[in-house]
Amino acid sequence: MNALRLHKSFRVLSLFVLLILALTLILLGGCRRGRDERIRITIWHQDRIDVRVILQRQLARFMQIHPEVQAEELFKETEELRSGFIIAALAGQGPEIVYGPSDQVGPFELMNIILPLETIFDSTWQSQYDPRALTWYKGHLYQVADKLGNHLTLVYNKKLVPDPPTNERELIEIGKSVTADLNGDGRIDRYGLTWNYTEPFFFIPFMTGFGGWIMDAEGRPTLDSRGTIDGLKFIKELRDVYKIIPNEADYNIADILFKDGNAGMIVNGDWSWAGYQKAGLDIGVAPLPEITSTGLWCGTMVSPKGFSLNVNVSDEKKKWAVELIRFLMMPENQLESTRELYTMPTHNDVRRSDFVRNNEILRNSQIAIDHGRPMPVVPELRAIWDAMRPSYQAVLAGTKTAEQAARDMQALALRRINEMNE
Amino acid sequence: MPSRTFRHRLYLFFLVAPAFLVLFGVVIYPFLYNIVISLSNMNLRHIRDWRIVGFDQYVKVFTEPSQPDFYMVFLKTVIWTVVNLLFHVVFGVFLALVLNQKEIRGKALFRAILVLPWAVPQLIVALTWRGMFNYEYGAINLMLTQWLGLPAVEWLKQPLEAFIAVIITNVWLGFPFMMVIALGALQSIPHDLYEAAAIDGASWYHRLRHITIPLIRPVMVPAITLGTIWTFNNLNIVWLVSNAGEPSDQTHLMVSFVYKAAFNFYRYGYGAALSMVIFFVLLAFSLVFMRSSRVTENVYS
Repeated sequence: MNALRLHKSFRVLSLFVLLILALTLILLGGCRRGRDERIRITIWHQDRIDVRVILQRQLARFMQIHPEVQAEELFKETEELRSGFIIAALAGQGPEIVYGPSDQVGPFELMNIILPLETIFDSTWQSQYDPRALTWYKGHLYQVADKLGNHLTLVYNKKLVPDPPTNERELIEIGKSVTADLNGDGRIDRYGLTWNYTEPFFFIPFMTGFGGWIMDAEGRPTLDSRGTIDGLKFIKELRDVYKIIPNEADYNIADILFKDGNAGMIVNGDWSWAGYQKAGLDIGVAPLPEITSTGLWCGTMVSPKGFSLNVNVSDEKKKWAVELIRFLMMPENQLESTRELYTMPTHNDVRRSDFVRNNEILRNSQIAIDHGRPMPVVPELRAIWDAMRPSYQAVLAGTKTAEQAARDMQALALRRINEMNE
Repeated sequence: MPSRTFRHRLYLFFLVAPAFLVLFGVVIYPFLYNIVISLSNMNLRHIRDWRIVGFDQYVKVFTEPSQPDFYMVFLKTVIWTVVNLLFHVVFGVFLALVLNQKEIRGKALFRAILVLPWAVPQLIVALTWRGMFNYEYGAINLMLTQWLGLPAVEWLKQPLEAFIAVIITNVWLGFPFMMVIALGALQSIPHDLYEAAAIDGASWYHRLRHITIPLIRPVMVPAITLGTIWTFNNLNIVWLVSNAGEPSDQTHLMVSFVYKAAFNFYRYGYGAALSMVIFFVLLAFSLVFMRSSRVTENVYS
C-alpha cells in the first residue's frame, strides 16, 4: 500500500517538476525572444535625479531615431557604481557604458575592465571637444566627457552678499558682516560662510591657495607641505578666531543653512546651483578667493564626467554603444544640460554659444575651472583622500596641530599606497 | 524497473535538490570562494593574476600596523555588540512584560508605536539621528542646553561621544525586535502556571525568575545569538551616523574595517581574511553561548 502511494507520489512529483521546468523554459524563451527584438544598451551612472531626467529624455530621443535599440540608464551610488562595475566586468558582465568622474579611470584601467577609445573616436571627432574632456591614461584614451567641472565655487546669496569677495581678507570681512545673532539669545543664527568642511575634497582649494597640492607628477603624495599647514590653519581661524563658519557642518547641514538663508555664502560645486535657484534663492557664483599672501587663487579640483566602454561589450553592441555616446556628446544635448543645470559643456561649439558666453554663472564657473587643477586619475588618489581625512578632522577637533596633521597625512598616504600596491 | 529504495532516494533528492542548489549558490560557494581569496594576494594590482600565498593575509590582519588599529577596532566592536545587546534585551523584555499585562488598554496602538523604529528604513533612521546629533542645530543638544541647562556636547566631533552617538542610534533601532520576540514568547506561557504560583504565594519577582525567564529563554537565546551576529556585522548605522568612521576613523567596527580594505583600497585578499576572522569569532561565540545557555534542552523536561 505504502509502496503504491510512494510510487504515485513520485510520478506526481516528477510530473510537477517537469511542468515547472517546461514553464520556466517557455517563459525564459519568451523573454529572450522579446529582448532579441531590440539591442539593449545600458549605462550605469551616479547622476542625481535632475541630471537623470535629462538623460532619460535624451535616451528616449535616441531610441526614436534608432528604434532597434533599447537604451537604458541605471543609477548607482558612487561607491556602488565603482565596486559593482568592477565585480560585474571581472565576471565578464556589466553595462556596456559606465559614466562617472574621471578618477575611476585609473583603477578600471589597472584591472583591464574598460576599453581604449582612441581608435573608436578618431582625432577629427576628438578635436571638437575641450582636450580636458578626453581622459588619457598610460597613452590611451579611456573616457570621453560631456561635462567638465565637478568643481567647487563660492556660491553667495545676493540678498546677504551683494558682491562676492575676491580675496581672503574680503571673505573674512564679508563673513563677519553677515554673521549675526538675530534674536539676541547669545547664539549665532546666521553665518557668513559654510561648507562641508570635514571632507578633504572641500579642503583642496584652501590647500592650493596656500601653495600646496596632493601629489607630484610621479603620483607620490606631497601632503606634508606649507600649503597643507597654512590651509588647515586658515580654516581653523575662520571657525575659531573670526567665527564666520559654524562649529560643525557636514554637507547636509551646510546645504540647509544656505537654503534657509542662514548662511550668506557656501562653498559648493556645480551640481548644487540649479537646486539653489529652484529653492528660490537669488544666487551668484564666483571663483573661490585669492590668498593675498601667496598671490594664488584657491583652485579647485576639476574633473570631467564622461563615458567609458566596458571591455566585455560584444561587437554587435559596441557599435550601438559608440553611437549612443556620440549622440549624448552632441552639441544640442550638451546645451540642453547646460541650459537646465549650468553644467560646463565640453563641445567647443557649445562653449562658444551665446548662452554659455553670456550667462553670469557659467562665465564665473569657467573662471573657477581655469583657476583649478585637473583631478589625478591614478588609483593612489583614493589612498590620499583616506590619509587626509583623519588628520584633517583631528585638527578641526583640536586634537592635532596643523604641522603634526600634515606629517601624519603624508606618512599614512605612503603606507596606504604601499598597501594598495603590495 | 528501478528498485524501491532507489526510487525513494530519488524522491528525496527531488525534494532536497532545489533548496540545496539555492543554498550552494548563495552560501556555500561564496563562502568557499572567500576562503580561497583569503589565502591569495588578490588586490588592485593582482586582480586577474592572483595566486595563493598561504596565510600571509591572516598574518597581516594580526600583525600589520593599521589605521585604525585592528585590536582597537576589535575591542570597540565587542563593546558595541555587548552594550547594544544589553540595552536591546533589557528594553525589549521590559516593554514586552509591560505590553503583556492584561490591564493595559490600546495594546495594538502601543505595539505599533514601539515597532516604528524597526519599521523605518535604516538609512532614514541613521541620517535623522546624525542631524539630531549636530552640535549647533541638533535636537539632542538643543534639549540638553535649553531644557536641562547642560553644556552642548560635540557628538560627532569627538571619538568617545561619536561612539556613544552611534550606540544610542542602534539601541533605538534594535529594541523593537527583542520586544516582539519576547512578547511572542510571553504570550505562549500557559496562564495557569502564574495562577498556581500566585496560590502558592509567589511574589512578582519569583514568578519572573522561576516562570517567565526560564520559559522565554528558548526563544530569547536564539534571538540574542542572531542579534549578536547582526549587531557585530552592522555596517549601516555606524557608516551613516559617523559618516564613514568620523571623526578621524575612530568609530570603525570590524565590518566597516573590512569594507574599507576591500572596496576602498581594493585589498580583496586582506579583506577576505579579515572577514574570515569575523566569521570565526562569531562562530565561536555562537557555539559557546548556545552550549552554555542550554537552549536546545526542553524547558518543560
